[in-house]
Amino acid sequence: MKKLMNAADAFVDEMLDGLVAAHPTLVREARVVRAAHAPKPGKVGIVSGGGSGHLPLFTGYVGPGLLDACAIGDVFAGPSVDSCIQAIKAGDGGRGVLRLYGNYGGDRMNFDLAGEMVEMNGIRTTTVLGTDDIASATPDEAAKRRGVAGIIYAYKIAGAKADAGADLTEVTATAQAAVDACRTIGVALSPCQIPGAAKPTFEIGADEIEMGMGIHGEPGIWRDKLRSADDVADEMVRRLLADPITDKSERVSVLVNSLGATPLEELFIVYRRVAALLRKDGRTIVRPLVGHYVTSMEMAGLSISIIHLDAERERLLAAPCACPFWRV
Amino acid sequence: MAITADTLRHAATRARDAAALAQDDLNAADGRLGDGDTGVMLRRLFEAVATAIPAHENDLGIVFQACARACASGTGSSLGTLVTVAMMTLAKATRGRSEIGWDELGGLLASIRDQMMARGGAKLGDKTVVDMIDAVASALAHCATRDEATVAAQKAAQDALDAFRARPNKLGRARMFGERTIGLDDPGMLAFSRLLAAVAA
Repeated sequence: MKKLMNAADAFVDEMLDGLVAAHPTLVREARVVRAAHAPKPGKVGIVSGGGSGHLPLFTGYVGPGLLDACAIGDVFAGPSVDSCIQAIKAGDGGRGVLRLYGNYGGDRMNFDLAGEMVEMNGIRTTTVLGTDDIASATPDEAAKRRGVAGIIYAYKIAGAKADAGADLTEVTATAQAAVDACRTIGVALSPCQIPGAAKPTFEIGADEIEMGMGIHGEPGIWRDKLRSADDVADEMVRRLLADPITDKSERVSVLVNSLGATPLEELFIVYRRVAALLRKDGRTIVRPLVGHYVTSMEMAGLSISIIHLDAERERLLAAPCACPFWRV
Repeated sequence: MAITADTLRHAATRARDAAALAQDDLNAADGRLGDGDTGVMLRRLFEAVATAIPAHENDLGIVFQACARACASGTGSSLGTLVTVAMMTLAKATRGRSEIGWDELGGLLASIRDQMMARGGAKLGDKTVVDMIDAVASALAHCATRDEATVAAQKAAQDALDAFRARPNKLGRARMFGERTIGLDDPGMLAFSRLLAAVAA
């Protein structure tokens, strides 16, 4: 696959250099990006992190009302323990730090180790893991599910809660409730390639799609011939609504997200169908998001996330926020 | 002869060279279940270890501590973190000592196994590197000399690789491939067996 880059080993660092050069609200310190305002004294810090290759996730969501700091690793590889420690410290305004990131083994180990180390410096931390990908494990193994695009709702909701002055316990509970109320499923049309790798992360026929594929090419539910946008949207929404959620609600927000190469045109074709399906199901859509929010470089495909909103989540979703890729 | 800091320096060089040689094979093995970067990770990790190991330090704890630090800043992959955990376990266990006996290796590996299980969440039987470390730890329990240890460890590693090939991966990304992992070597086990062979040679 063609990539406009210099050396593969410089891919992440040069990307980060450009990101902060274009957005002076972001400050880069090695493999950590923090908000220029962070740490904000008296506010609970929200820190995330993960591998590169998913922009705007993770570093693109650093800003007021969202993340305070973010640790970033190589493409599709988690941040180092050192970066996690540095990010937690950068986000600590004295009232503790929520570590809010996707449920991946390496990220979990590194953020856990980092949390133990900063505790020795007197920083209190809690953890909430994004587990929204319904294709990555069955409902009875929901704790094994991986975190994908739906985590940005948790960023927004937890960020607004922290901005409102809530304490660490409250922010953590609100973030966990947001994760619990959100479900995502993806569909892939073509693969991506890690810079420097000899071949793409997976192979798929020119006329095939894979339902349920993860954002690193994790295997999905089925692979078959390409179908119409409406057929694909119907199945995705049906699966999302069928997945058990304790806190279901009539009011929902929806994210139709490109995995990278799929253009806005196709996203809107799918959104049109998703909106109709949810209306038919008796639901009202609040603040829909359609665009590139969590990608896998040049992978073609999209994901649909649905988050059920209680009154508080709806209010927090509407609160002001500003980052390079999302402004309310 | 016991294990000293010189033994570790020698082993670190061999591990670095072995990781570089194994890179393509490990990438290929991982490419069937993951994103195909296990080989690159392992090479970078052991390059960092070989560079970070202090040249004139006899305290094994301090040597392992330097290795742990190199691993912690070098990579964020789960394999890298597990190696960090292993180095930290060794650093704590050998602090203040300038040599350890070959008969102590089995016990040290058993503590590494326990720490890795606590950190990474793997259980025995999940088909991860932890299963191989468990097998090698048991085999080393009865070895008093270097010669005995190298033969027993390599045999146990190979036996574990052979025994688990026919079983499915039950953890992490490989878990999601389910039955399709039957017949494949776990990349972490393969990496450990390659490093072991190089260090034992």
